[in-house]
Amino acid sequence: MRSALVDGVVLGLQYGLLGVGLTLIYGLAGVLNLAHGQIAVLGAIVVALVVDAGAAAFPAALLGIAAAGAFLLLLDLTLMRAVYRQEGERRVLLGLLLMLGVAFVIDGFLVWRYPVEQLALRVGGDAVPILGVRMTRGSLLASGITVAAGLVLVVFFRYSSLGRGVRSVIQDEEGARLCGVSPAAVRTFVFAMSGVLAGLVGVTRSMTSPIGVNNTISFTILALIVAVVGGLGSVSGAFLAGVLLGVVDRLSSFYIGTYVTTIVLLLCAAVTIVARPSGLLGRSPP
Amino acid sequence: MILRVRGLSAGYAGKHVVHDVTFDVDEGEAVTIIGSNGAGKSTLFRAMLGLLHTVSGTIEFDGRDISKVPTHAIARRGLAYVPAERHLFAQMSVVENLLLGAFPRRADPEVEDLVFGLFPRLAERRKQAAGTLSGGEQQMLAVGRALMSKPRVLMLDEPTTGLAPRLAAEAYRALATLRDAGLTLVVTEQQVPLALQLASRGHVIENGRIELSGTSAELADNPDVQRAYLGVA
Amino acid sequence: MTVVEESTATTVASPVGQSVGRRLLAYAPILAVAALAALVPLRYSDSGSMMGVVTDGLLFASYAVAFNIIFGSTGQLFLCVGALAGLGGFASAIFSDRVGLPMIPAIVVATLCAALIGGLLAWVSVKRALETIFIGIVTLTFSLSFDNLLLGRRDLTGGETGLFIESGGDTILRERVPAYYVFLGLLVVYLVIFRLLQRSRTGWAFRALRDDKLAAELAGVDVSRYRVFAGTLGSAMFGLTGALYAHSGRGFIGPSTYAFGEVDVRVLVMLAFGGIGSLLGPVVGAATFTWLDEFLIEYRELRLLIYGVVIIVLFLGFRRGVVPVVVDLFHRLPNRQRPR
Repeated sequence: MRSALVDGVVLGLQYGLLGVGLTLIYGLAGVLNLAHGQIAVLGAIVVALVVDAGAAAFPAALLGIAAAGAFLLLLDLTLMRAVYRQEGERRVLLGLLLMLGVAFVIDGFLVWRYPVEQLALRVGGDAVPILGVRMTRGSLLASGITVAAGLVLVVFFRYSSLGRGVRSVIQDEEGARLCGVSPAAVRTFVFAMSGVLAGLVGVTRSMTSPIGVNNTISFTILALIVAVVGGLGSVSGAFLAGVLLGVVDRLSSFYIGTYVTTIVLLLCAAVTIVARPSGLLGRSPP
Repeated sequence: MILRVRGLSAGYAGKHVVHDVTFDVDEGEAVTIIGSNGAGKSTLFRAMLGLLHTVSGTIEFDGRDISKVPTHAIARRGLAYVPAERHLFAQMSVVENLLLGAFPRRADPEVEDLVFGLFPRLAERRKQAAGTLSGGEQQMLAVGRALMSKPRVLMLDEPTTGLAPRLAAEAYRALATLRDAGLTLVVTEQQVPLALQLASRGHVIENGRIELSGTSAELADNPDVQRAYLGVA
Repeated sequence: MTVVEESTATTVASPVGQSVGRRLLAYAPILAVAALAALVPLRYSDSGSMMGVVTDGLLFASYAVAFNIIFGSTGQLFLCVGALAGLGGFASAIFSDRVGLPMIPAIVVATLCAALIGGLLAWVSVKRALETIFIGIVTLTFSLSFDNLLLGRRDLTGGETGLFIESGGDTILRERVPAYYVFLGLLVVYLVIFRLLQRSRTGWAFRALRDDKLAAELAGVDVSRYRVFAGTLGSAMFGLTGALYAHSGRGFIGPSTYAFGEVDVRVLVMLAFGGIGSLLGPVVGAATFTWLDEFLIEYRELRLLIYGVVIIVLFLGFRRGVVPVVVDLFHRLPNRQRPR
């Protein structure tokens, strides 16, 4: 039981990071990034390819993460322009459909070119006992990285000028413009950041299990569930929801079974929307 | 002439609300635009700030044309605008709102002191979320936030909206202090006496057109103005 | 205006005060489609696989018409087409083979099940005043849960291997060409229902509540009732289609038959391409994408990739859908009067 809990937290932290990327883009641009999981795996595959070519793990990881960020950045500068010209419901629908297309393109490309390529970053060393549970070094490293990333995000959003600027656009776009904040520039930045976060999760997940094209859809669904439960647009909400759902995931898998676990997680999202659409920490709807 | 508007027409969804508006503002002046509800005051200001799509005519700020410049760039050039709805960041604290006013530069502690000196009530509520402030305090914060960017021109759209008379007078006292310090002010108002006291010149806007212009004294003496806006029979 | 509204901006004439001939003319496009489609088997009746393909085309067109009623008319993003159809299919299979009901009652019961669930989803969405994207997410979770349920409960559903259905084995549904005509008949019925709704007071209410919910409420339109009605009707149509399909062809249904990725995504793309809210949009979309899928079979490996590119290009270019654009061009021809 305790091992399931610890596993759950480890997993949950990464789920949280996955959700943060998705929730940011939605909060800022009103676009539901249905290709988020695909981008995470894309980053992981890039890392795998670079490692295959002979590079060391660490620089390869940086490259893969940067690639994921660059991909979303490019998307914002090109496809998303058409989406931003729309408003409200129209924007949501168009964004959704275009991102679906992007998800297919990435999946299709990976299935065509690298169907069996996988990233599995093995971290050497014996298992370490933490709180009476033996954790693999891979789990530890993944957790450490995720927590560090989380702290960086918190500091960024709370104390930096740019972080404040991002929050201002989420809260009141017109007010932000009057303060000299360019919503377009902020959106581009956040897209890139979201890509980096996705790539980072692709890398950390690979420290505990191999990541390949089969994981794209489950990552996207997870990101969606976490973002919804945490409250679309809330970064801290996504983290909190991630940890909670990670624990639920592990406990459910342990005591019930894998098929049901997916349903349980999906139900969490559905129940959240029906009972409290603003999620755990999101704003109440006006 | 720091602000020059020539033949400005603007509106929403293809329909013009403001027609062929022309006026100037000199540096250091306080000018007011008065008119009743729906006359087009807010539309005029929003068009000047690039918040509207349909715009024809020219708008020059500090000698440069800003009719095609995006809002955030106009703000950075030194034209600050306090809209009637204020658009504060409700979940951020007073301090954070002020810091954003200075974006992208660092907040100048002197200006911060000036703002808190002008609005002592805000100083007491530094860490409070903007959404929890009272109407009067929110207005103060909106003005303070606009000041943080050290603007050359401050434009205010109906600053007395939702304010009790005492608070409205207080607000205008603060504006007078700013005017005396040399800040250029352009203020739209329905509450005409306050506006005419603050400004040296004014324009009357009706149905989207400027119908009357003159010094504050001239406007105050004008019988039509008196009848329409000063409640004099 | 939203994507949905724009495609029906050309007003639909009210039937009140029109002559009988004029009224029947409104259904002419449906007859034209039926006539054309009836000719198709003449070309392909020899090939079992091609007949399967064109029947699938009819199937998806039917799904798309039902989706058009739910999403096109009332703006509810029901991302659970496959799940509701699957509910119809598997429920009918269970009721006929397991419980022992004859085929037709089993299909009826299955259709009612689907209608019930769909109506429930609509009712919950209305009660909680959910926005489009949240309705989408809730129905998506239902879809994905259903997909998982199918895999998990293998005692009932055959799990990953799927289910062979005996019921209906002796009916015409099992023969390629007759089955085609049955599904064509179903599609025509669905299209007629859509047209009837469009031209009725219900259709007027639909358009009103889609344009401006608040104004509609103030005008006396019971928004909740219409949304639940559309949701229930559309879901019944999904269920019926799914149930009929289960008993037809080879009588086999598996986890991929009604999967979200197989059904919902295609229906959404087909309808958005054809024109959300238009009568023939679903038909145009289904025909186009059925053809495209066949065309892409040769490029097996690249299929997914090309599909994605097509979607992106499509929605960057054809935001309103083919049918509304064509109808608009038609009305812009000189000397052409708009129908009064």
